[in-house]
Amino acid sequence: MSNTDTAKPVIRLFESLCKEHLHGKDNVVHLVLIALLSAGHILIEDLPGLGKTTIALAIARITGLSFGRIQCTSDLLPSDITGLSVFNRESGHFNFNPGPIFNNIVLLDEINRAMPRTQSAMLEAMEERRVTIEGITHQLPQPFMVFATQNPSDQSGTFLLPESQLDRFLICTDIGYPPEMLERNIISTGGIRERIEEISPLINISEIMQARLTVEKDVYLSDKVVGYIHKVVMATRKHPLIQIGLSTRAAINLAQAARAEAFLAGRDYVAPDDVKKIASAVCSHRLIARAGQSADRKGLLREIIDVIPLPLA
Amino acid sequence: MITASKVGSILSFAIAFAGISPVFFWIEPFPRLIFVLGFLIGILQEKADRWRIKNLYFNLLLLPLFIWYLLQYSRNNPVQPVVSVLTIMLAARLCGEKNNRNLMQINLLALLCLASRSLFDLSPSFLFWLALLLLLIPVSLVVLTFYAQDNGIKFVRAELNRVILSAILITLVTIPGMVLLFPILPRTAIPMWTFLTPSSVNSTGLSDKVEPGTTSSSHTSSRLAFRAEVQKQEQPPYWRGTVFNRIENNNSWSRYVQTLPSETIVYSGNSMLQTIYPEPSSSRIIVAMDAAREISLPRIRTAPDLVYEYPRIPTKRMAYTARSFTDGVLSTRADIRSSFYLITPSNLSERTLQLAKYIQKNARTDRERLELTEQHFINGKYRYTTVGLPTGQDAIEQFLFESKQGHCEFFASSFAILLRAAGVPARLVGGYLGGEYNDIGGYYIVTEDKAHVWVEVYIKEKGWIRTDPSRFAINSEAVWNQQKKPDMILRFRLLIDSLDYHWNRTIVSYDFERQVEQIRFAGNKLQSLQGITKISWLVPLILLSATFAALTILNSRLHFLANSREKRLLRRFKKIIKKRFGETVEIDNKGFFEIASATGDPLVLEFCNIYAASFYKDRKLERYELERLEKLLGYISRGRK
Repeated sequence: MSNTDTAKPVIRLFESLCKEHLHGKDNVVHLVLIALLSAGHILIEDLPGLGKTTIALAIARITGLSFGRIQCTSDLLPSDITGLSVFNRESGHFNFNPGPIFNNIVLLDEINRAMPRTQSAMLEAMEERRVTIEGITHQLPQPFMVFATQNPSDQSGTFLLPESQLDRFLICTDIGYPPEMLERNIISTGGIRERIEEISPLINISEIMQARLTVEKDVYLSDKVVGYIHKVVMATRKHPLIQIGLSTRAAINLAQAARAEAFLAGRDYVAPDDVKKIASAVCSHRLIARAGQSADRKGLLREIIDVIPLPLA
Repeated sequence: MITASKVGSILSFAIAFAGISPVFFWIEPFPRLIFVLGFLIGILQEKADRWRIKNLYFNLLLLPLFIWYLLQYSRNNPVQPVVSVLTIMLAARLCGEKNNRNLMQINLLALLCLASRSLFDLSPSFLFWLALLLLLIPVSLVVLTFYAQDNGIKFVRAELNRVILSAILITLVTIPGMVLLFPILPRTAIPMWTFLTPSSVNSTGLSDKVEPGTTSSSHTSSRLAFRAEVQKQEQPPYWRGTVFNRIENNNSWSRYVQTLPSETIVYSGNSMLQTIYPEPSSSRIIVAMDAAREISLPRIRTAPDLVYEYPRIPTKRMAYTARSFTDGVLSTRADIRSSFYLITPSNLSERTLQLAKYIQKNARTDRERLELTEQHFINGKYRYTTVGLPTGQDAIEQFLFESKQGHCEFFASSFAILLRAAGVPARLVGGYLGGEYNDIGGYYIVTEDKAHVWVEVYIKEKGWIRTDPSRFAINSEAVWNQQKKPDMILRFRLLIDSLDYHWNRTIVSYDFERQVEQIRFAGNKLQSLQGITKISWLVPLILLSATFAALTILNSRLHFLANSREKRLLRRFKKIIKKRFGETVEIDNKGFFEIASATGDPLVLEFCNIYAASFYKDRKLERYELERLEKLLGYISRGRK
């Protein structure tokens, strides 16, 4: 099967989702798909009420993947996420009751409201893709993608994810307010929350897994583009306004995401354009600015990338 | 676009031409004709692209010819049959169908033909044809390699250029190797086979006998005899070769060495140092300016009358220096046994004897007798000519008293006879007179038609005095002292000759020991110069940096050439985008797809897709892709949809 054949269902899914169901969320949907294709997790950082949960639900419906939702609170315990063993009096054994994390798409709503202990357990599960409870290791289902949301505004009783934890998310993005006409439309027709249940799946798990495999193996990454990625990473490390630049994991993730981006564009090779396009979503949340500097990491990254020459000939 | 087989066959014609040209005028007329026919038929068939005659028939046809030439082969005729067979085979291959193997055979045959040229002659033009073949054959080989892989393969012009460029590079890379090999490579100093078959060599003036009256006209070729590096002389110089001291009754002069009187020459006067480069010949006589005191060659035979000879015929091209005393007078330490030089033919005619008697009676000393004889020649109004010569037993008498015209042999012979009959010792000297001076190289070019005979007269207490009776001819000024105007053709000829001269000096008669000696000499000279040692470290530094710079430039040029097509395309693309979309589309530090989406032009997108698909997949653009890209650029720049 050629790359374009593998890409077709995914692209169809994307178009259907953006045109029919989620108006004005093209960018976020695109990034979600990239995270899904490159086996990463996504963190959506925005104010409440902008459709974070709706997007996650819509994605789950249209892909036909199982969906679990965890609403984080300060008293949420790790076992509330992973599940726990319950004593069955009839059989005389402990039976394992899997928690909501045993789903393909897991929405971690308001992750910053959970206490660090729980956050940490969750992030470990994300990284390892398995959960160990009472000495027994349980594999998480494939594909597995965490869809975390975080409220950036300073609120009491929240624990903002530390930067080291942020590095675990492939993509971090905001949603933003919808454009005026769209918002008027939404106001008049109401949200789509109720209609989400009506979305029918356009893709199955094996197609998703096939697409993932293609992204990983069949999208060619030239040395020229690798050199470009390296230049970007090095530039962030040397920049005077940045305290800690991009890690090697960031570079790996950038390459992964660029592959997925190229795949979505219907190509079987990565162009530097892909890297450029995806860089801010993949990298900006991993940068640590120097104390006293503006926190506009996205703008900073764009400035850095804009002066790096692309390999053209 | 052109197919590899077409390129291969065009190259094969060029190679065959370059291979046969150097030997073309040396081979026999029949193979020459066959070759021309084969060449033309080959071109015609190539044009029509039809092969009426199968190669098999050619091979069958070749068989009897091959046997015929095999029978022709002998020790006396070892070269012509071989070269003829080579030529005919080449012709057959040219007009036959050309597959990969046949084309290779043409290359090989052409190379062999060129190599056989060195059996006839080794001249600078050989170098030209060799260089041409060395350029053509690698190109052909590279093309044939492609052809062998895929016999339908086609080239566009850029690819063809690249093939040619790489082949030229192959040749250039081998040049340092060739230069390194040059000093140790053995080479023949003279053309071997033409030398062994002496018909073409030494059909010349300088012979071992002087026989006036045997033919009515004399022909001498203008073949080169030798070159002599010496400063220009005011008078045409006399080049002394051999001495004829005995005359037979049939007026034939020869050299007789058994009872040669001993004489010791006392050298005085002007001496002249010269370096002489003789052309190969079967003569053993060593020529030098009259009269040489010493000649820098080992193991040569020196006769008392200053005739120098090789012990045997030289087998290689050589050069020697000689020191000569050019005044034309050879004083002897003691009087010589003059009776040896007074023998006259017993059948001298009455008139001759009367004239001799008259000379003897009317002068008291030998000196005066010589002057009287000279006077007779001056008053006699003799003419110098090479046609209409007197012949027969009484040729000398006819010359002296009736026809009064002849060439130098008549003048010298009759002059010497008269003197001898009058009791004055005399002998004939054979050699060359004059020669053309080449100002460019600083040497005399002496051809065989400059061969000359003059007389030496012995005067007691004075020695041998050179006198040239041909000078007393009434037209002598016109014959010897004519000043050739330096016209363009002559200058060109002299230039070519000096090339030939340097070729022989440095390439053909190349002597490794001599080169080493010269290098050592140069080294010693350098060491003796104190000033140079101070800056000596600069020289290698400059050389090294110059080499480095040259390599860098070469490298960048090569890089440019290798990638030029893609780079050029990209440059054009950027230019066109800038021109067409101007301010609205920023292209600096933008990727292809960013540019394409910014322009919104599907043609730009197609261009970017094709280009990026090859560039970011690390492969070269295919031919059809390049063509498409060129076309797209055209469309984009014209703004066509």
